[in-house]
Amino acid sequence: MVRTKVAAKGIGRYLLLIIVSVWTLAPVAWMVSLSFKGPIEWYAPNLIPIQPTIDNYISLFVPTNPIGGSFFFTSITEAITKPLINSLIVAGLGTIFAVLVGFLAAYGVSRYRAGGTFVIFFTLLTRMLPGATFVAPLMVFYASIGLIDTYAGLILLYTAVTLTYAIWLMKGFIDEIPPEWEEAALLEGASPWTVLRKITIPLTKGGLVACALFILILNWSEFLFALVISVTQVTTLPVQISKYVSAVGRMYGTMASIGLVATIPSLVLAYLIQKHLVTGFTFGRVR
Amino acid sequence: MPRLVVKNLRKAFGTFEAVKDVSFQVEEKETLCLLGPSGCGKTTTLRIIAGLEVPTSGEVFVDGRLVNDVPPQNRQIGLVFQDYAIFPHLSVFENIAYGLRVRKIPKAQMKTKVHDTASLIGVDGILDVPGKKLGLSDMQRVAIGRSIVLNPKLLLLDEPLSNIDAKARERMRAELGKLQKEIGIATVYVTHDQLEAMTLADRIAVMRNGLIEQMGTTSEIYDRARTLFVAKFIGSPTMNLISCELVYDGNRAILKSEDLALDVTEFGETIGGKAKGKELVLGVRPEDLSIDVRKTNSSAIEAEVQLVEPIGAKSIYHLRMSRLAVLAKDYAMLDIDVGSKVWATFNKDKLHLFDKKTEEAIL
Repeated sequence: MVRTKVAAKGIGRYLLLIIVSVWTLAPVAWMVSLSFKGPIEWYAPNLIPIQPTIDNYISLFVPTNPIGGSFFFTSITEAITKPLINSLIVAGLGTIFAVLVGFLAAYGVSRYRAGGTFVIFFTLLTRMLPGATFVAPLMVFYASIGLIDTYAGLILLYTAVTLTYAIWLMKGFIDEIPPEWEEAALLEGASPWTVLRKITIPLTKGGLVACALFILILNWSEFLFALVISVTQVTTLPVQISKYVSAVGRMYGTMASIGLVATIPSLVLAYLIQKHLVTGFTFGRVR
Repeated sequence: MPRLVVKNLRKAFGTFEAVKDVSFQVEEKETLCLLGPSGCGKTTTLRIIAGLEVPTSGEVFVDGRLVNDVPPQNRQIGLVFQDYAIFPHLSVFENIAYGLRVRKIPKAQMKTKVHDTASLIGVDGILDVPGKKLGLSDMQRVAIGRSIVLNPKLLLLDEPLSNIDAKARERMRAELGKLQKEIGIATVYVTHDQLEAMTLADRIAVMRNGLIEQMGTTSEIYDRARTLFVAKFIGSPTMNLISCELVYDGNRAILKSEDLALDVTEFGETIGGKAKGKELVLGVRPEDLSIDVRKTNSSAIEAEVQLVEPIGAKSIYHLRMSRLAVLAKDYAMLDIDVGSKVWATFNKDKLHLFDKKTEEAIL
């Protein structure tokens, strides 16, 4: 009796996992399928391509190569290598700056009540309006100070809008660390920077990683600001995807192949840091 | 030369004065206990000594050196925190070695130092265990080990037993006492638990509202409380306090309350001048009130037993003398139960008498 109960429980659990996996992976499977299909099959419901092709991928890197005849010629002359690198630079640096500044700001707020209660809530203001409401004045402002279509401009913007998340997330993690640990290290002879490096950062590592991944994914898929700030030089992947429109319609196969390429960096990263993610997502219960 | 001298220490947080004017010293190998209720300034005092808080005014000398402007790590002070603050991500070895590593002590020397300390505090078997896996008593040991590994001149302990359940506390208190004897270092111990203070300290400083009310050995504090507060704070069960006044009947001096009259002619001369015409508070510790079923002496007072709390060889008797409720602690007697009539005798050698207004001791 007991045994069947346990077995039933195991089966139930796996059934649930299978459903969730299918639920999350189905769109990805569809994207993979689409990326290997030629234009004729783009609107067809079959999951396995009848005539598999890698033309979609080739056209990403050799944009002059037409897919399925001249109908699908586009105005795109550039390979996705540049947008891919742009995305890596902008999202990556934007994340690093946000986490770095956010951590230090959160540390100040958590330990020294820097800025009192007002400043920390003030930071939330940047998230209280949807980006679309301030993107036009922002564009004008950026144009007047020469930041349009520059890495600096986009990185600065990404850092600014994600900083709030970094501060609030990191504040939660730092609050969990009793100040006694830092004071103990201080008494043992560590300088304030050593305390930060040897005690606080190792203890909030999981939080830092989770926070960085969260912001990186936001930055990586950000579309609106990138569309407005970039012209030709700092076009990011999401903006590039939107450009795959031909004279006769959207190029779904090519878009799917970019989507897949764009997924790879975050997948690799998540795999590399999965150990820290567990502690990060349990929200720093270090004690 | 005393290991620690604290002179006229003051600390204000905004308008709140946490420490008002505190002075004391601690001799070599001595343990001084700062005892008081929460908010009395004892932990702030300790943190100022450690260098974690800056005093508003006053001076701290460690081993004769003024350390007011010396950063905590250079004061040669070890501190054990209330929660022990064991680094959870480091092993026991690394926890103890932390200060040596930060100070870049050569590896071989560091290892011997850590091993010596570990065997002194009895954690040499668990050096590889990470901090977060330690039990409370091991944490306590490691915390002490970490704070003494640098050979401090002074050890500070901030309520190290207060987060531990009663049963384990008793055992760890004993362990702490033993360790203290072995280490033999000048210690300042902060606690709100009078039992801890009495068992571990050589001298006790009872603090209240940022001031030291009384400082002295355990027996001085217990037998000759200088203020009403100290009398109430020390001792369990609490001292009986009875409002009364001094009246004379012929040449007999009598402490008289509404429900009680106690002949104190033998102290009449000592207290007369100070007590006459004032509102007084008579203090009697429960163990200085003995009871019997018969009236064995002329000054015994009749009382009714309201509750008996047996605590082993002795019992705590809740008595009522007409309307006055008092506690007595005496040998357990089978024939005394709730409702019994008994005769209570005050041990006159152990009476305490306070001026109600100034709260200061008269006797």
